[in-house]
Amino acid sequence: MIKNNLSTIIITVITATMGVIAAVSFGKMHHPEELFPSEGLTGKVMLSDYFEGIKGTNGDTEVYLFDSGVEGGTALVCGGAHPNEAASFLSAVVILENLRVTCGRVFIIPRLNNSAFTCSDPMEGFPASYEIPTKYGTRRFRLGSRVTNPLDQWPDPLVFSQYPSNQQLSGFETRNINRSYPGRADGNLTERIAYAIVQLIEKEKVNIAFDIHESSPEVPIVNVIVYHENYEEVAMGAILGLEMAGLQFSPETSPKNFHGLSHREWGDYTNAIPFLMETSNPSMGRLRGRTDVDLVLRGYCDNYKKAKETGALRIAYREDTGEPIAHRVGRHIAGVVELINSYNLYYPDMQIVIENLPDYDMIMEKGVGEFLNN
Amino acid sequence: MKTRIATYVTITILFLAGTSLLAQKFEQPVLISSAGQSADVKLVKMLAQRQGLNATTVLMAKPEDLTGFKTLVIVPGFSSKGLGAAGISQQDELERVQSLIKAANDLKIPIVLMHIGGNARRQGQSDSFNQLVADNSKFMLVVKQGDEDGFFTKIAGARNIPLTLVEKIAETAEPLGNLFK
Ligand SMILES: [Zn+2]
Repeated sequence: MIKNNLSTIIITVITATMGVIAAVSFGKMHHPEELFPSEGLTGKVMLSDYFEGIKGTNGDTEVYLFDSGVEGGTALVCGGAHPNEAASFLSAVVILENLRVTCGRVFIIPRLNNSAFTCSDPMEGFPASYEIPTKYGTRRFRLGSRVTNPLDQWPDPLVFSQYPSNQQLSGFETRNINRSYPGRADGNLTERIAYAIVQLIEKEKVNIAFDIHESSPEVPIVNVIVYHENYEEVAMGAILGLEMAGLQFSPETSPKNFHGLSHREWGDYTNAIPFLMETSNPSMGRLRGRTDVDLVLRGYCDNYKKAKETGALRIAYREDTGEPIAHRVGRHIAGVVELINSYNLYYPDMQIVIENLPDYDMIMEKGVGEFLNN
Repeated sequence: MKTRIATYVTITILFLAGTSLLAQKFEQPVLISSAGQSADVKLVKMLAQRQGLNATTVLMAKPEDLTGFKTLVIVPGFSSKGLGAAGISQQDELERVQSLIKAANDLKIPIVLMHIGGNARRQGQSDSFNQLVADNSKFMLVVKQGDEDGFFTKIAGARNIPLTLVEKIAETAEPLGNLFK
């Protein structure tokens, strides 16, 4: 009897073992990576302090405050709206771990959609984490999903009706924080997180707000600053400033009829001046080859070189160097700095003065890890 | 000897032709419009303001908007967000630009092309707009990165259109202002 079923038993034991190993590994995604804010930090609260409705959920997330004590304006820097975009989270972390503010205040939310950090996108073959060497040793960061964990919000409707615009989107987008603004207090988890962010912006009287993203090299909206039409001049001033520093950004106006996005709804529903930036990340693209940590960090992929050479599509990919993480983080930080500089010119009564952030060339030369603490 | 004289004559003729083209003056007021609805046109608007030009920006200018203007500056470059914001298709936009260019040509309003978006506004869907505007322009002002493959240089050569290439967007301001001096 036992002999007859020996193969069944062996297969069952092997499968169960693999399942346990996978479950333990996947479970690790629920353990947030430790962050080490700079000495300029003056406070830390939770997003649920602005809206009770996300308290105790995986959507609640840390909000870090750098208050100079000098009267001025208030900035909000958000990373991790889409946790599969490594440079989004890492840029916010580098700012968090280096920032000094000498006028006004800066809030930082590194994990904007905290729930989406606890899983990865199915069928995409993404690594669950990546490591960055630093002066003090190696630090591990999670690479999450574009959308809220289905364990936290399920099931998706067939068609997502965006609130309050009623714009129809695919059901999957129900869990996309960047389709959920301005959110609602009695909505699903993603809408409640969005609502909490809007509450923070209003309560703290945020003047300028950043939403940091990455996208695949073949989409039209990449290496851009997306701005709300009311604040065109701040964006244009920054683009000229960035160009002087050797960094090319394309201006993109936020479409008035595309709802739920930060650059649209933060601008429409609050007094903040919103900006969304995108860098080119080959690990997110449809043409990518093997999807591993090397692709996420080095951003080098021959397929994109070939695609660019055909000239059929505009591809935001540099054939010689690829799109390494230092380049992507360097661009985002330079973008934040120049947009704040430009903002200061137009709003001299509400100045925000930030210091001690590495510039693009420093990050390219020394790597992102050089600017991470421990 | 004969060939040498012929060469001198040819060079002189080319030189004269060249200077007469370069000497073409553009007059104000200026209408600034986009071809492809990229937000690059907003940068040109800002640069024109800084140069003190009497300029009006109409993103989706139609033939009737040309009334009263003496120069048309078109900033080509495709943006799906821009078209989405305007609620129109790429085909609609192409047809609008064609009719605007035709009207300007009929009214003898010279067209200046300003391409400032570098390789982000090249190839793919941008080049149909770039080609259309370049073919019909009397002057081209281009940021070099957009001409890495000689796209604008070739059109300028083939159609005898003066072309100024600059390194950076900010450097287009002065040559733009000089067109009207
Ligand atoms: Zn994103």
